[in-house]
Amino acid sequence: MVFNSLHFVWFFLVVYAAYRVLPHRAQNWLLLIASYYFYASWDWRFLGLLLASTLVDFSCALLLERAATPARRRTLLVVSLAFNLTQLGFFKYFNFFSDNLHTLFAALGWQLDFVTLRVLLPVGISFYTFVTMSYVIDVYRRETPATRNLLDFAVFVAFFPHLVAGPILRASTLLSQIARPRHVSRDQLRDGAWLIAWGYFQKVFVADNLASLANTVFEPGTTHTGVNVLLGLYAFAFQIYGDFAGYSNIARGTSKLMGIELIENFRFPYLVRTPQEFWRNWHISLSTWLRDYLYIPLGGSRGTEWQTRRNLFATMVLGGLWHGAAWTFVLWGVYQGALLIAYRAASTARAYRRLFVEASPLAKVATWALMFHLTCYGWLIFRSRSANQIATLTASLLTDFAPGSIETERLLIPLLLYSTPLLLVHACEAWFDDGLIVPKLSAGVRYSLYAATFYLTMLFGNFGGAEFIYFQF
Amino acid sequence: MSPPAAGTGSHRLRRLALFAAVLAVQFALFEAALRTWGSSEAAPSFQGLFEGDPVLGYRLRPGARTHFATSEFAADIAINGDGFRDDEELGPKAANERRVVLLGDSLVLSVQVDFGRTFGELLERRLNARGGPTRYRVVNAGVQGFGPIEEQLFFRRIVDRVSPDLVIVVLFVGNDAEEAVGSRPKLSGDSRGRAAAAGDSLITRVRRLVRRSMVLQILRLRIVAATDRVTPRMAPPEPPLQSYAAAPAPRIAEGLAIARRSIEDIAAVASRAGAPTMVALMPARFQVDDPDYQRLTQAVTQAGGELLRDGASERFDRALAELPLPRIDLLPALRRKLPGPDLFYQTTVHLTPRGHEVVAGALDAFVAEQWPLYRQEHPLTPR
Repeated sequence: MVFNSLHFVWFFLVVYAAYRVLPHRAQNWLLLIASYYFYASWDWRFLGLLLASTLVDFSCALLLERAATPARRRTLLVVSLAFNLTQLGFFKYFNFFSDNLHTLFAALGWQLDFVTLRVLLPVGISFYTFVTMSYVIDVYRRETPATRNLLDFAVFVAFFPHLVAGPILRASTLLSQIARPRHVSRDQLRDGAWLIAWGYFQKVFVADNLASLANTVFEPGTTHTGVNVLLGLYAFAFQIYGDFAGYSNIARGTSKLMGIELIENFRFPYLVRTPQEFWRNWHISLSTWLRDYLYIPLGGSRGTEWQTRRNLFATMVLGGLWHGAAWTFVLWGVYQGALLIAYRAASTARAYRRLFVEASPLAKVATWALMFHLTCYGWLIFRSRSANQIATLTASLLTDFAPGSIETERLLIPLLLYSTPLLLVHACEAWFDDGLIVPKLSAGVRYSLYAATFYLTMLFGNFGGAEFIYFQF
Repeated sequence: MSPPAAGTGSHRLRRLALFAAVLAVQFALFEAALRTWGSSEAAPSFQGLFEGDPVLGYRLRPGARTHFATSEFAADIAINGDGFRDDEELGPKAANERRVVLLGDSLVLSVQVDFGRTFGELLERRLNARGGPTRYRVVNAGVQGFGPIEEQLFFRRIVDRVSPDLVIVVLFVGNDAEEAVGSRPKLSGDSRGRAAAAGDSLITRVRRLVRRSMVLQILRLRIVAATDRVTPRMAPPEPPLQSYAAAPAPRIAEGLAIARRSIEDIAAVASRAGAPTMVALMPARFQVDDPDYQRLTQAVTQAGGELLRDGASERFDRALAELPLPRIDLLPALRRKLPGPDLFYQTTVHLTPRGHEVVAGALDAFVAEQWPLYRQEHPLTPR
């Protein structure tokens, strides 16, 4: 059941109608049943994994809080982490590692007779295992008390707006809201409705329409001029942003309507000027998770410069691998790690202040354009199916930059049509430094934006019901 | 005077009025934009191909021209001075000229492809390719939305001007029975047909308004698509599919009888002009396209019905069997070309250039075999 399906619309209307009339405890029961139904609508068999994850981490956290000795606390933490990582590793990476091992042995001349096991990837497993792991680690660090209420904890893990594609929430953000009675304010209703409408716009108008343009360029076996590869890259950059930010906005909007606040997951990521800023503004819940539970435990920036660079690199490579079991994602992580290290190295250079700290308007535009294109090249690695395709597309970009073909016109006009409205609102939000500025604008401007969003979505939206890209992660 | 305080009834009313005004202004802007740049049959540039007609309802506007482009196809369309789709004027008939008139609907008119790629034009080239002193001219007398009755009335009007040597009526088995029933009032001179019979009820006026607006047309399609997904069991099969239903509505038999009488009339008028008449049965896309058939048969089954894939072709074949006219079903020729490139466009039920080639080939063989005059002039043409 994807957010952009009629099934979800009916599901949410029924759940919401009941939610608004029930008392607090009954609301939580309703949310749990609805969330399990939502998850089971993909494949009911994977509900067992979600339940197991919930029970194991709930128990580990409780025992951990009561544990008398540091050694026992550590043991319980290791049990929880081992359970979650084994589950994630098996379901997400088994096929990847077994295939690569098979290829490696074959290259060495050893034909090993592996037991063939095709493991299906349970939807959302990367998201909910990170949610439960962060909870146990927070309890271990004594940053969050362990909850004694299994119902509240189960709702925290399975809460349907964020279950399959995030944001990856912490207990301090969500569990506390689930545990206490909720009141839905008028502002939450107004902002929630706008976020849902804007999320659908980002998904069906921007992302799903641009998908066909990006697919044209990334279709394996096809060749394109450098200009067309660049246009396809732009299309994919706005597609993945519209797709994922759209999902996050619908998740935030539906939660707001229920009186629950989720964190902002994207904050004008294409208007930034440095790789560091990009990761502070793109998939914020994942990047802060990686920072708090991987980068800092590895030593963060506390050691020598070399150690800091090593920690950054390892975090980004693992972050890349989190996105999917494929070498292209690992390469994307390597690329992002390299960008962060290069930026860090550049920050000691003499020109750094002129370009980034006391920058002229021209320097600001130049560094923004450079960062946007570096990000786009990262999407080339991310979207490619193989290293070979990365090489082919890169070669086209660098050596075959001939504009003016019919294909260029066919890519450029829809790209402008589908990305310009998004960029205008994006720029408006960035200008006011408020991702929720639209509902606060004067009535005339606000209504104009509401009406334009409605008409553009209904008249030009792609209602094919395409899945969200991040479901596969 | 101070503005009403937020939250009061008057304040809410003013806000509502403002929102309604914004919606109305943007509606007008989107309507204008779609009419100017939108590629749709509802666009004024496309509608400019037609003009009103007191008997037929509408006809092709002589001298009209447009470029029609969608995401799937693009074509230049020119209507000649005689009101037929052709880049050239018909002009006076030369002594060595033989004219073949193709009567039909949008499948004959074929606005999806350039004129040179329509099966009528391809047929003309094929007929002339065998050489000889005679020059064959195929007249594309197809008009979007016409059914057997309009074709009958239209042919009566053009027969003297065209002076045909052969008439081929191309029946679209998918909806011609339905259209024959709907257009019956036109035979008694009532050009407004069913719309007039229904009167200017509120629903009729709303429907007309929706049809005229591109924005409302698209919104209507969105709503229909959404309600179809929610209520597949409640939605009846689309009217054109009734011709394929295992148990069709009584109007289908009625429509077949009307279609037969129309063709009889065309044949009689053509015969008086010295031209024989032939009939070609054009199948619907799903009769050739397997995924399309699976989708439709599933929808009809869910609605509690049963779809016979070739039901309409067989019904037309049986209904016309009593007429002493040569007849060809184009379905086998199209199916023989499978698997292969698409024969029909995905967004419409119309032929692709490849589909036109197949139909032209089948018609060429059929005409060469069944037209005595052609056999006489080309005795070596294989039978």
